[in-house]
Amino acid sequence: MHLWIDGQDLDQIKKSFDSVEISRSENFVSVQINKEKLLELLSFLKDKLGYKMFIDFFCMDFPVQSPRFQGVYLLFNPEKMRRVAVKCWAEGDSLPSATKLWKGIKWAEREAWDMFGVRFEGHENLVRMFMWETYQHHPLRKDFPLRGHGEVYLPPLSGEESPAHNYSPYHTALPTMEDLEITQKKRLPEKKAQIVLNWGPLHPGTHGTIWFLFDMEGEEVKECDIILGQLHRGVEKIAENITYTQFIPYTDRMDYISALCSQVAYVNAVEKHLGVEPTEKAKYIRTMMCELQRINSHLLWLGTYALDLGALTIFLYTFREREKIMDIIEGIAGIRLNSTYIRIGGVAKDLPEGALDVIEHFLNDFPQRLKEYETILTKNRVWLRRNVDVGVITREDVYSYGLTGAVARASGVPYDVRMFQPTDAYGDVDFDVPLGKVGDSYDRYLVRVEEMRQSVRIIKQCVKVLRQMEGESYINTEHPFVLPTLDQVFNSIEAMVKDFNLRIYGEKLPEGEIYLSGENPRGELGFYINSKGEGRPYRLRVRSGAFYNLQVFTELIKGRTVADAVVLLGSLDPVVGETDR
Amino acid sequence: MELVGTVVGIVIKSLIFIIGMFLGAAYLTLLERKFAGHVQQRPGPLHVGPHGLLQPIADALKVLTKEDLVPNSVDRVLFYLASLMAFVPAIMILAVVPFGEPFTIFGLEIKPYITDLNVAVLLALAFGSLSIYGVIFAGWASNSKYPMIGGLRKAAVLIGYEVALGFALVGPIMMAGSFSLREIVEAQQNMWFIIPNILAFVVVIFSILAETGRTPFDVQEAEAELVGGYITEYTGMKFGLFPLAEWYIATFVLSAITVIMFFGGWNPPPLLGWLPIPAFVWFSVKVFLLFMFFLWVHWTLPRYRVDQITEIAWKVMLPLALANIFIVAIWIIIFG
Repeated sequence: MHLWIDGQDLDQIKKSFDSVEISRSENFVSVQINKEKLLELLSFLKDKLGYKMFIDFFCMDFPVQSPRFQGVYLLFNPEKMRRVAVKCWAEGDSLPSATKLWKGIKWAEREAWDMFGVRFEGHENLVRMFMWETYQHHPLRKDFPLRGHGEVYLPPLSGEESPAHNYSPYHTALPTMEDLEITQKKRLPEKKAQIVLNWGPLHPGTHGTIWFLFDMEGEEVKECDIILGQLHRGVEKIAENITYTQFIPYTDRMDYISALCSQVAYVNAVEKHLGVEPTEKAKYIRTMMCELQRINSHLLWLGTYALDLGALTIFLYTFREREKIMDIIEGIAGIRLNSTYIRIGGVAKDLPEGALDVIEHFLNDFPQRLKEYETILTKNRVWLRRNVDVGVITREDVYSYGLTGAVARASGVPYDVRMFQPTDAYGDVDFDVPLGKVGDSYDRYLVRVEEMRQSVRIIKQCVKVLRQMEGESYINTEHPFVLPTLDQVFNSIEAMVKDFNLRIYGEKLPEGEIYLSGENPRGELGFYINSKGEGRPYRLRVRSGAFYNLQVFTELIKGRTVADAVVLLGSLDPVVGETDR
Repeated sequence: MELVGTVVGIVIKSLIFIIGMFLGAAYLTLLERKFAGHVQQRPGPLHVGPHGLLQPIADALKVLTKEDLVPNSVDRVLFYLASLMAFVPAIMILAVVPFGEPFTIFGLEIKPYITDLNVAVLLALAFGSLSIYGVIFAGWASNSKYPMIGGLRKAAVLIGYEVALGFALVGPIMMAGSFSLREIVEAQQNMWFIIPNILAFVVVIFSILAETGRTPFDVQEAEAELVGGYITEYTGMKFGLFPLAEWYIATFVLSAITVIMFFGGWNPPPLLGWLPIPAFVWFSVKVFLLFMFFLWVHWTLPRYRVDQITEIAWKVMLPLALANIFIVAIWIIIFG
């Protein structure tokens, strides 16, 4: 399945631009161009060749080279289902801003400025994305002081001096109240309306730690900005210093509600680059677990969404079913939430005895429960009044903001990574992609409910296949870069040596790049890995669906009330662990 | 001497009513929690006392012994006044609610109501409207943005529904020809006023939901939007008084008034008058059922947006209440 730009389009690019350098490999096709022609090429790709959907933008740091930073634009052609990457060196540490072409690139450019210190000419308000405004460093640069800062004065959190923070001479920098005030001022440069409401960072409606700034006239929101970063852990930086296997638990902790899907997306990217083929059984187990996790995640979404809109009872109903899935996942993976179950080359453990029976029992029961939720909500007048025509997202917005997942599908864009890029067993199972018509909150609700039904369908097919696979191998340990199982390590010296080598030096990915994504419950979760042939990635970029989905919120909320903010945020369904990374 | 006797009698009766209402409200919380628990397929309070029966006492003790924090920047006088303003008017309505017919024990005639005013309905409405000051004071005095918005929302909702409620109650008053709640009950001996006043009843149900801030109209303390609404800055018992007054006492008292106005008060249901059940029990059963209805709505529906609520008040409820007056007038002309 080749998902990258075809030769025909590349020829056209070559014809129109003479200075491009094209590098083609199986997993990544990029077009490199100089800074002057960049915007021209991007708009050529967008308007002439149909690569109109924005997927991602990020930077890379090559400290010994000059110019030092390289920007990478990932675009998608929804008609041909093809991707293309455009690369451009940031001469003078700056790039032209592409916000005029895609609205969604606004936050990505802010992130690049925050993390690398690359400036963007023509950006409307180039402030930091995650860190506070007075922060001294750009964390993803290679020369960032990883050890922390010695002898930095840490302001005590309470009024009096207490030595609680001083247990280590080295620590990360901390923002003070003044820093946060400056950050807030920069986001909303001038107050236009009556009051600025700080909605968050700790607020029951924000589902985590998102800090919204609402500039309000009465209850109507005139201007809105979002301050992210309260949960920023620098996952991309962490990845650069650990081996590929060690990074799997970190993917859990990004989108902690759909941990298994994130693991699968990440491990697939690594495997594809390494050339590891997981066993058939592992593929089906992965698909099944992913879909279980998707139901789990959508149930949590439905419960909290209804809770935000005041329907208190639905929450406990959905958690009743969610608990059953949690038990299934715990039974199979050993851990409920951050399961770390997927391994390079397969899965960590075989299915325990009786697991398929339990899953089947759940599948027989679940559709009735789904009907139960729908009787309470779908035709409820209050529910309709709150949801219909609230937060309408058009198809153009989807392409322009790079929206993915249920949000894109509710607007009628058939963008489902499982469909056009079937990893694991998705190519062998049969399922439909539900689409909305209007693109309002109500459509997003319907699409997600229907997705749960489709997940049930997929799991049923997986269970059927897995029943015949009893006793087969669940991990492809023959490959030199796949960790042996515990049993093998204890019983053979070769496996022990291999285990030692891999744990210490890591899986040596061949030199090159790959971008591969998975369909998370919250949108496309993509992993770009740039390997220099070492045991750890040179640059690992996480393309987070929730991050770009959240961005459209600032547009949708304008002219609406605080009460609608809850609806919009709920229907976009971001998870802060993934937006902040 | 007679005056002293009356005063002593009224004081004793008031004390019984107030203490009874306090205990009653405490146990209404348990009722609600048990009901919510069973709606949500969980057992509810279970561990304090037999089957959780002492839970309200434990809750009250907990709330009473909490530290009474007052933020620095609040307007202290209004801040304290607000919790009283929410609470006192709600309980004052009890003064005019009759719980049954006068009866005689040991040769002493006991009236199961504090006073039988000839403007009882008006007084009840007036006290109901007064409780809005509690909300507005709380929102203003807290000197914080969320309580402010919560208070404003509640004020907007209340103004709309007060008007509709006032007009809706005109129907039963016209039919009884009196403002006295006791006389309204006595006028319903043959037929309950729900029959021609069904529209008014609908309006009253909506108004009570809005006034007591229960879902789908609980916009003022929509926790997902406004944290705690106008009670965000309150702690301890000051915090506890608001929901106690709104969710329990006001709902209960307004349910009682609705039963009196539409369901014949303590009159037995038609065809069941021969049963040897005292009037007080009939009354309690009706109020209990109505109260449970509000709980049922609360734990099932999502909530409206504030502009939709006021829209319903002015565009739907007010015309319905006015239409009801016409229907009742025609009814009176036809059937006398």
